[in-house]
Amino acid sequence: MGIGTDFAKTVDILQRAMDASLVRRDAIANNMANADVPNYKRTVVNFESELKRALDSEKEHPALPLAVTNEKHIPNWRARDYREVEPRRVLDYLTTAKNNGNNVDPEEELMLSMQNQLMYTLLASAQTFEFGQVNLVLR
Amino acid sequence: MGLFSSINIASSGMTAERLRSDVIADNIANASTTRTAEGGPFRRSRVILKPRTEQPYWRSPFLPDMLDGGAGKGVRVVTVEKDDAKPRLVYDPTHPDAIKSGERAGYVEMPNVNVVTEMVDLISASRAYEANASIVNGSKAMFMKALEIGGR
Repeated sequence: MGIGTDFAKTVDILQRAMDASLVRRDAIANNMANADVPNYKRTVVNFESELKRALDSEKEHPALPLAVTNEKHIPNWRARDYREVEPRRVLDYLTTAKNNGNNVDPEEELMLSMQNQLMYTLLASAQTFEFGQVNLVLR
Repeated sequence: MGLFSSINIASSGMTAERLRSDVIADNIANASTTRTAEGGPFRRSRVILKPRTEQPYWRSPFLPDMLDGGAGKGVRVVTVEKDDAKPRLVYDPTHPDAIKSGERAGYVEMPNVNVVTEMVDLISASRAYEANASIVNGSKAMFMKALEIGGR
């Protein structure tokens, strides 16, 4: 798929990724705000790997696909719609960072926040680029 | 989730950390106060913090959707509590507040404030405040970038 083809899908994926980035930012901000609360467990957000799995599933096919000729047949393969992928909050209760039951590591959270911020900036630039392409055509 | 929720969350953290440094300043200022309204020496205060939304008390990485309280709304100060640690005893018989009789006669009860501990806590509060402030700044930069989408 080249740049500019399937414009709507690209913009949709970018927008979903930006939404997920905001959810992750909330989680990071909340971890930071609670960095001194005893027994607080940090929250992490999973999204990108799920999105990749869904997008990959659109291309892959099993070696032996079962024929579906009746609506009651059960297919052995169904591509996962990427629009069903939601950012998922997960409680990280297995790691330890301090001796008060709190597992927020401020350095790690700051790095994650920085990464997330750059990712958001990158996605926003990609959006700007996409709309710029359309503007070029409209001119 | 919204444009400003991460800023609100970070500002709740900044409020809590500022209160913490206020309380630490009070503790240090009263590090040698031997007379208080409730009697006895000054006792150090400490801030008790709590998440604004409760985390599930049972341990599970995945939450059923019904029990998911959202991404969390920041931190909240529950109370400012007095520390019950024993007062420090300093031998100074000429002090007006010295114990007059008994086996501890001549000793003065000094506050249970350890200035070194307070300084360490102050550094921790100040760094946490900065971390929250950097979240606010980062969010601001992100939203400014989002505003550029579609613009030329």
